[in-house]
Amino acid sequence: MEPNDGASVKTTKMTKANKKVIRKQLKASHTLLKHEGIETVSYPTQNLVVANGGLGNGVSREQLQDILKGSSSVKCLLMPPNKPYAFVTYGCTEDARQCHAALNGRQLQCQGRTVTLYLSFVDKVVESHVGMKAEMPPGLKVLEDFVSPEEEVQLLEAVDWSFCDDPGDNTIQKTLKHRRVKHFGYEFRYDNNNVDKNKPLSGGLPAVCHPVLERCLKEKHISIWPDQLTVNQYQPGQVLMSSTGIPPHVDTHSAFEDTILSLSLGAKTVMDFRHPDGRSVAVVLPRRSLLLMKGESRYLWTHGITPRRLDIVPARDAERSVAVTPDPCDLTLNERGTRTSFTFRKVRHMPCDCAYPSTCDSQRPLEVPQRFSLPCTDVDAVQLEMRFVHTVYDEIAGHFSRTRHSPWPRVGDFLRSLVPGAVVADVGCGNGKYLGINPAVFTLGCDRSHSLVQICADRGFQAFTSDALEVPLRSGVCDACISIAVIHHFSTQERRLTAVKELVRLLKPGGKALLYVWALEQEYNRQKSKYLKERGVGPVEGVEPGSVGQMDTTAARTVGTSSSAAKSSQPELSIHRNRTAFGSQDLLVPWHLRGGVQKEGQEPSHIGEKGALLASGSTPVYHRYYHVFREGELEELCRKVRNATIETSYYDQGNWCVILEKTL
Amino acid sequence: MKLLTHNMLTSHVKGVTKGYPLLIKATEVKVSEVEFNPQFVSRMIPKLEWSALVQAAEEVGHLNDLPTELLPDYENNEEFLRKVHRVLLEVEVLEGSLRCPESGREFPISRGIPNMLLNEDEA
Repeated sequence: MEPNDGASVKTTKMTKANKKVIRKQLKASHTLLKHEGIETVSYPTQNLVVANGGLGNGVSREQLQDILKGSSSVKCLLMPPNKPYAFVTYGCTEDARQCHAALNGRQLQCQGRTVTLYLSFVDKVVESHVGMKAEMPPGLKVLEDFVSPEEEVQLLEAVDWSFCDDPGDNTIQKTLKHRRVKHFGYEFRYDNNNVDKNKPLSGGLPAVCHPVLERCLKEKHISIWPDQLTVNQYQPGQVLMSSTGIPPHVDTHSAFEDTILSLSLGAKTVMDFRHPDGRSVAVVLPRRSLLLMKGESRYLWTHGITPRRLDIVPARDAERSVAVTPDPCDLTLNERGTRTSFTFRKVRHMPCDCAYPSTCDSQRPLEVPQRFSLPCTDVDAVQLEMRFVHTVYDEIAGHFSRTRHSPWPRVGDFLRSLVPGAVVADVGCGNGKYLGINPAVFTLGCDRSHSLVQICADRGFQAFTSDALEVPLRSGVCDACISIAVIHHFSTQERRLTAVKELVRLLKPGGKALLYVWALEQEYNRQKSKYLKERGVGPVEGVEPGSVGQMDTTAARTVGTSSSAAKSSQPELSIHRNRTAFGSQDLLVPWHLRGGVQKEGQEPSHIGEKGALLASGSTPVYHRYYHVFREGELEELCRKVRNATIETSYYDQGNWCVILEKTL
Repeated sequence: MKLLTHNMLTSHVKGVTKGYPLLIKATEVKVSEVEFNPQFVSRMIPKLEWSALVQAAEEVGHLNDLPTELLPDYENNEEFLRKVHRVLLEVEVLEGSLRCPESGREFPISRGIPNMLLNEDEA
């Protein structure tokens, strides 16, 4: 039996279990002090801090209230957003002491995990924002119960998803749940975030939407009937995986007129609005509500949905739309369901003349502060690559080809080492630089860019247009494959892995694949790569040093939104400055187009074809997306392919390289 | 697109299990002279699906007297190798399409290039 200690707090006989709880409670107190500046005390007071009982741990207000019930004198329960603790204030010290005795060490089931609460006394509860209300962005309105449950069902059933991505597919590239998208009226193009105004889609807006739109007209929320509809379906993720969202953006000014309507069906969610000065407001969009974005909220603030499973929402007025307050007295958690949004917009045919030129692509085309983040879903990855890989290569194909005339010697060595009569696939063949190197083998090229494939054909090579993630060749038909400077254009690891697996699929057992990707480390073993050494136009990269637009080379994480319980939104892509070291792994690399493509008499500030920025002096600049690999990363990726082994890996002039052999 | 290339192409439309061989519809075919290399042709033969080659040759109107079955000891049969050489490397489909035998999806061939890109919903 343990002796009683002489402390002022009455102790009972300590069992081993009790001792353990006390030990952990002390540790929790220490953590609270060290990381949060919260001082706990060993004597009883009216105020308790509940470690591990916060919104930041996934514990909701309702759960805490549930275990506190029976204590009639709880005066206040404070749950600061994103914090791993909460404060409970009682009417008297004795009640607080009883709560401590009852709940210290108590376990809760929370989001499928066990959470242990450790309670300590504190002298004072100093929390900011108590009683504060958040302000909605100007021009923003949310109209609750805009459609009835019956109408909600009709609208959801009217969308035929059979021609969209099927989340039931279980190939590795689809492990992230999708955001499914469907357009009506006009196709929305993700390569330039605009509509193709010359190609309206037949059928217009579905008839089932008409009552909703008539209501909007009648209630004077809009004065013109919209002619474009985008339906987005966001599905929540499974436990431990983040759900889908949409990165922060302003709807392109030149694409659409002012008021934008968005109907939320199926589930409620929280949408984050951010002002350029850094202010951020989270707005609850209840189920069946209509969001109206007008004026400043449409033209200036960005809006987005953070990919996560739990949102921080107000506890009172749970079904209403409010700007999520920072008041810790009134917050709890909401688990996301499947939400479908119907966004109605009116296509704009004249340039935008809004009062917000800083975000206006009509008024300030060179300076539109587009922020691009890394995609979190396959759908977003496809869109990013469409905009920053495929459309760019199609546009620059001619110039690009002219700068790609010297093959990397070691790639040539690999090709020449093959047995005569070998069948080789060059996946991502570009202008066909490697297709004719070894005439004793049969080399087939394929590339995503039709313009580049055409150049191969013009040179007499066999080539076809296809995607590197799905190469339409029989499995095992190749003795060898090469993938030179291709995989670094895929914007998620899943897609990069799929590309490697495709190469292995094409190989016969014993066949070999050679992979080259750009290295993060452009200086290796004290040698600068040619890319860094050369100034001016050269064979490695036909780009002159130059600065256009934003020059931020650091990939800072985006500022966390105020209501993010889980990881904050995806890192932003930085724009690289050519001929300098790479500042981060995910980048947009400028390409200055030269020769033959410029039209006569072009205005100095003008958005060229496919959204290229034109500096005055008129050389269009395009940006290509790259994920540059750090040392070891390519090998790590290749090791994930079960039926292949790494034969060699090396560094060659700013590239990480691997030769992979198929085992079975 | 040469028939050697065609022999390796397959349909990759989602859900299709029998996407090979792709059926050729040719509206423009070109025959050109390519230097004959018997070893090269010999080495290509084991990589081919012979029946698909025969079918393709027929579809483009150049079957002529190509045997429907692979001849034994073809490595030493120059006459045979020349026939194969012609069909594999000298006949090219410049315009037309390739059709997936299971789904019916057509992939256009223009200026000698098959466009095998699928739409997002087909992949």
